[in-house]
Amino acid sequence: MEAPPVLKAVGLSKSYKVGHIRRRLRPALQGLDLEVRRGEIFGYLGPNGSGKTTTLKLLMGLLRADAGEVQVLGRPWLDPAWRYQVGYLPENPYLYDYLTPREYLDYVGRLFGLSSRERAERGRALLERLGLSHVAAVPLRRFSKGMLQRVGLAQALVNDPELLILDEPMSGLDPVGRRLVRDLILEQKAAGKTVLFSTHILPDAEALCDRVAVLRGGRLLDAGPLSQILKLDVSHMELLAAGLDAARLEDPAIRVRQALGERWRLEVEERSLGAVVRAVEAAGGRILAVQPIRQSLEDYFFKELGGGSAGPWGGAD
Amino acid sequence: MGRGRLSRILAVAANTFRETVRERVLYNLVFFALLMTLSGLLLAQLSIRQDEKIIKDLGLAAMDLFGSMIALFIGVSLVSKEIERRSLHPLLAKPLGRDEFFLGKFFGLAFTLFVNTSAMAAGLFLTLLATGRSANLGLVGAIYTIFLSLLLVVALAMLLSSVTSPALSAIGTLGLVIVGRFSDVIRNMREVVPGAPDWLVKILYYAIPNFRNFDFKEQAAYGDPIPLSALGQVTLYAAFYVGLALAAGLASFRSRDFE
Amino acid sequence: MKWRDGLLVLGLGAAMVAAQVWLDQSRGSLTAGDPSLYLWTGTQVKRMVPGFEGLFADIYWLRTVQYFGGQRAFAQNQRFELLYPLIDITITLDPRLEIAYRYGATFLAEPRPVGAGEAEKGIAILERGVAALPDNWRLRQDLGFLTYLFLHDAERAARILDEAADTPGAPYWLRTLAADLLVKGGERQAARRMWRQMYEQAEEGIIKENARRQLRQLDALEGADALTALVAELTRRTGRKPASLADLEASGLARGALVDPSGTPYEYDSTTGKVRVSQRSVLWRP
Repeated sequence: MEAPPVLKAVGLSKSYKVGHIRRRLRPALQGLDLEVRRGEIFGYLGPNGSGKTTTLKLLMGLLRADAGEVQVLGRPWLDPAWRYQVGYLPENPYLYDYLTPREYLDYVGRLFGLSSRERAERGRALLERLGLSHVAAVPLRRFSKGMLQRVGLAQALVNDPELLILDEPMSGLDPVGRRLVRDLILEQKAAGKTVLFSTHILPDAEALCDRVAVLRGGRLLDAGPLSQILKLDVSHMELLAAGLDAARLEDPAIRVRQALGERWRLEVEERSLGAVVRAVEAAGGRILAVQPIRQSLEDYFFKELGGGSAGPWGGAD
Repeated sequence: MGRGRLSRILAVAANTFRETVRERVLYNLVFFALLMTLSGLLLAQLSIRQDEKIIKDLGLAAMDLFGSMIALFIGVSLVSKEIERRSLHPLLAKPLGRDEFFLGKFFGLAFTLFVNTSAMAAGLFLTLLATGRSANLGLVGAIYTIFLSLLLVVALAMLLSSVTSPALSAIGTLGLVIVGRFSDVIRNMREVVPGAPDWLVKILYYAIPNFRNFDFKEQAAYGDPIPLSALGQVTLYAAFYVGLALAAGLASFRSRDFE
Repeated sequence: MKWRDGLLVLGLGAAMVAAQVWLDQSRGSLTAGDPSLYLWTGTQVKRMVPGFEGLFADIYWLRTVQYFGGQRAFAQNQRFELLYPLIDITITLDPRLEIAYRYGATFLAEPRPVGAGEAEKGIAILERGVAALPDNWRLRQDLGFLTYLFLHDAERAARILDEAADTPGAPYWLRTLAADLLVKGGERQAARRMWRQMYEQAEEGIIKENARRQLRQLDALEGADALTALVAELTRRTGRKPASLADLEASGLARGALVDPSGTPYEYDSTTGKVRVSQRSVLWRP
């Protein structure tokens, strides 16, 4: 018997009124169906303006939906009880700049009805976990964007939520920060929690997500496990080699030759893999990696959502 | 659940108070109010036999003027700013109702005004003491009604802030406060504009907040007793109008989108 | 380069001052008119400051006091043009400001160089005061005083003082004062009483000083009258008028130095037998 979904949205729609005199309706989200299962890391993807933030804001009640039904943790949306078990981090959060992180977390804790002892304890633990102990008493107006993001994460975790909803959690973070967020998300999953986050940083999604949904123009394009969405090309293998001039390799099985600095990326028919490997070694080169060709998320984006051929190896930001 | 509601409202109120306490503009305004009151000591020297009246007049005028400015400023900035800067986004995701947030803000601002008014009143009493006079009950009554008028200003500012931008809500509130002081002119509009239809005059008069109701400065200056019934009536008017403004503001706040 | 900025500032400053001087020179002719035209009326000011009428009344009263003092002390030809408008604004803003009626009326009614010498206007101010504060005996008292002392209308003054005596809290002597005015020969006594009251009720300042001086003038007059009576007595005894005041002294009828309260010797006219206050005395008045 499958556990009920942690989040279930059916037919979620929202239009904005645009213009001052003649008010037209601009649809931001049309008939969205979404399901997030317990214990998974769910990625919510899409280009700018596709409606990702709108969806999350609708879920949290910052925007009023035109149509649709939402259930969170098995409860109807209007029931305030589920909010005690959900944590939310908006994009580019603005927190009160006259408060210190400690005071802000204490305030949030009060809203959850935590006792003063619980608030102090949770606050201290979260600040430590997010590397903010040394600035716990500094007013937030002096914080950099990255540090503000961390405080934002802390406030989302004050109530130890079952479901964590994050809007672009990696945005504006340096690599250290991003690693921190990544680890945090994985920690949540390890603890049996569920994480839903929106992002346009595709390698992060690839690295973390169990399932994803892709949004375009306010409509759901596709949803499911990554492996299902990103097509696998089983007929060819991808080969990384170095130390040779592969331009000189003559083999009809090599479909694509790509120079990446000192390395070469070759796409090879699967049944001829062995022969090509031997040819490379014979030419004095080394094999660095062999793997099936999987369409990257970026490729998917470009292909499905418009754009040129696949980019070079290595993630875009 | 009722107790949870109250504690959340109080949490918002306490945080709002903390925000105003850390707002420097407030201190400047209170400082100027106290300065104005103290200058009464100087001005009294320039006149004949007027020191007590001048000090009271100046002190009450300062409280009214600067108090209104403070109420306008905090009422507009503390709600508009929240909406514009989106600082309430993470908060509304919590189990915090929109009405709890709105009311909590109001109570926080009301408490701030109470503290400010008390500080200015203390300044006035001390200034009077310096000339050997003491405060009388009438003075306290006049201060109380000024405080009520400040609550109304804040409520109006909050209503307008939840509907429109900070600049427009500031101008709108200021406009209402100024026009509200001319309530008697509106009521007698037909002396100046004979063609004005009676129903229009009535509607305008009752709709616009009548700030003259709160003016007991003359009684305080001349030591007239202020009957408790008058204070009671003014309190009722203030309570109803404040309630009206808050209810309207809440209605708007509850149903709007926060983008 | 900082000196360049400094130079620029100085240059512009000088140019600005020059422009101002030029402006003042050409605009000067425009301000020769009646300055009271530039003052708003009482009702206009009252309209503009709802809720702050009391404070502005105080401010305008202050302005009145300063204007009055300034005109007396510094003005080349004292004009007092703005005195009435300023008082008018003050009492329109706050009809309960008793002190504005009382002092304002006195400022207006006292003859120059003490006041503006406009007794009718002063009376008008007090009449407004009596209308606004009908139970205030002091205003009626002042109205009576001013009516007698500056308009020289004893009957009207007596009537007013009688009304004043009827007002709650009025002192008993107001009625006797009213009566004195109607009695021939009682006027000087009445006048003395009035000045005495004004002296006691006034704050230190011009009004009090003036009242003091009036009293001393009356003392001087009485002293002269007393000496005249003594001369008459001496004439009766000796059968002829004394030649000078020294004869009076020698006769032993008058004791002490024959000088008025300011220390100036009295003058004696041997033809009429009258003693008067010397013209050289500060207490002399026509």
